[in-house]
Amino acid sequence: MYKKLFKKHLENFISILSKFGVVYAPVKKASKLYDFTELTDFKELQLKYTRTMIPPKKFFLKPKEPLYLLNKDKGFKEIVDDSKTVLLGVHSCDINAINLLDRVYLNQFPDLFYKTRRDNTIIIGVSCEPDENCFCTSTGSSHALRGFDLFMHEVDDRYIIRVGSLKGFQIISECKNILADTSLPDIKEFKRVEAERIKRISLNLNVNGIQDILDLSHDHSAWQENADICFGCGTCNLVCPTCRCYDVVDYLKLDLKNGLRARRWDSCMLRQHALVAGGLNFRPTRVERLYNRFNCKMSFSEDSLNCVGCGRCTVYCPADINFVEVLNQVRED
Amino acid sequence: MTSIEKLFYLRLVDSKAVEEFHYNPGQFLEISVPGVGEAPISVCNVQKTPGELQLCIRKVGRVTNAIHRLKEKDLLWLRGPYGNGFPMGVMENHNLLLIAGGLGIAPLRSVLQHALLHRDKYGLITVMYGVRCYSTMLFREEFLKLFREGDKLGVEFLLAYEDKSDAECYQLACERSDRCMSGLVTKLIEATPIKPDNTYAVICGPPVMYKFVVKELTQRHFTPAQIYMTMERRMKCGVGKCGHCITGSSNSIKYVCKDGPVFTYLDALKTRGLL
Repeated sequence: MYKKLFKKHLENFISILSKFGVVYAPVKKASKLYDFTELTDFKELQLKYTRTMIPPKKFFLKPKEPLYLLNKDKGFKEIVDDSKTVLLGVHSCDINAINLLDRVYLNQFPDLFYKTRRDNTIIIGVSCEPDENCFCTSTGSSHALRGFDLFMHEVDDRYIIRVGSLKGFQIISECKNILADTSLPDIKEFKRVEAERIKRISLNLNVNGIQDILDLSHDHSAWQENADICFGCGTCNLVCPTCRCYDVVDYLKLDLKNGLRARRWDSCMLRQHALVAGGLNFRPTRVERLYNRFNCKMSFSEDSLNCVGCGRCTVYCPADINFVEVLNQVRED
Repeated sequence: MTSIEKLFYLRLVDSKAVEEFHYNPGQFLEISVPGVGEAPISVCNVQKTPGELQLCIRKVGRVTNAIHRLKEKDLLWLRGPYGNGFPMGVMENHNLLLIAGGLGIAPLRSVLQHALLHRDKYGLITVMYGVRCYSTMLFREEFLKLFREGDKLGVEFLLAYEDKSDAECYQLACERSDRCMSGLVTKLIEATPIKPDNTYAVICGPPVMYKFVVKELTQRHFTPAQIYMTMERRMKCGVGKCGHCITGSSNSIKYVCKDGPVFTYLDALKTRGLL
């Protein structure tokens, strides 16, 4: 089901959205820095943006998230955040990343905290503004087929809105006055604009058989060369929309009886990630950790990569390690 | 039990949990001390009485130190059981060769107890246990009894000790030189006429031990599918979320917590870094 929204009605559309929850959308923070922020002023909205630094995973798996109130004698009590949120302006790659997170957090052991956030969040996609670091066509994530409630394709002075869920349908029903049906010229323009968008994603990563190539290239010099310049800072993990390792920490109050159990983002590039009790480390060197991260990104399971080609790890790496270049280097000789 | 290991007897206080709580050999629990943290610990006995379990815990980190400081009737919190556990059904009607080093005997004790509880379902049971010295030997009374009287139960119990100057172990070696010898646990495999026919080998020990034991076994023509091993990683969540136990390269990624912790040697051959 498709509807058409003219841009002049966008502010009106957002005020209707705000009935469904607090609206978060991309806002410009610095010259090239965007972030999903609570939208308090319509003028701050930046629906035309390349990528946010921190991916939308922060809404479902928060950087630092209290899980339980704890008491030495009484044990644990869950802290569940069921506030209603509308996430406006999510790109296809990030929606596909959320779909991958879902496969982890909603699988046979559903994570209560993640699931509650997911159930209470409306996701509205928007067509993206690719740059030279995007390679989502290679990872099959340049288009989102599911995992959103509405998707807004920008076509000139309007948006062609795709309905993805019942919640999306309910929003559309509230917007009857400002939405129209799509016409033949809309469809023609939609095709043209989409084709142009895809053409701009020029970076290519050959992922065919990459799993075997990576396994066979364990001793390739590229790993050591890149590990030598890597700071081991874990920025790539923090900005990655599919990286979701976490650590769990207990915080005690001064009474030494009450406190919090919280989880916080962890990073496989940090030394202690594979450390076990007694001091043994299963990945003691940076080169092993780097190799592990690339392998993890190139395989979620037999049927899927764990990378959506958003380019963040390359853009934000302080050592300028280029994800695609490393993989091409490993493949080519 | 030793200066750093204690055996804890736990009883569930939640009556609903008592009904639902069932665990198998090789599974593990996430044990919590509120305010300190959580740690994965594998069960060391076979479940007999509903709601009761035993854990053999070495004090080695923050959580285990806090557990060691607990007194009788103090409260602990637990989640689980997690992981696949040993395939006790698959191993039925086979001989069992249990090979343990140090604290690795704890999960294998639950395998041994299970097999003894269902004695007619398993063939000959051989236990090879490697210790540093007599004082670090876990479940000493129990195993010394097996060492001396195991034949009555169809159990052959062998002991290897690293510290050559250990008087008590030397005494045992004098008693039965074919069943107690100084050296690493691999020495027991070398010195014992074991055959792979109709046998499953089950290994647990410090990470460094596996490849040496596996080498001995494959030389004795054990196939990679006849060798089971249980692995250790930092399993924070136990349910495949937190990512700390992910291992392998991209053509085979395993979560030790939910795909394991019990793997075959075949899994290890396919999954880089598992061993």
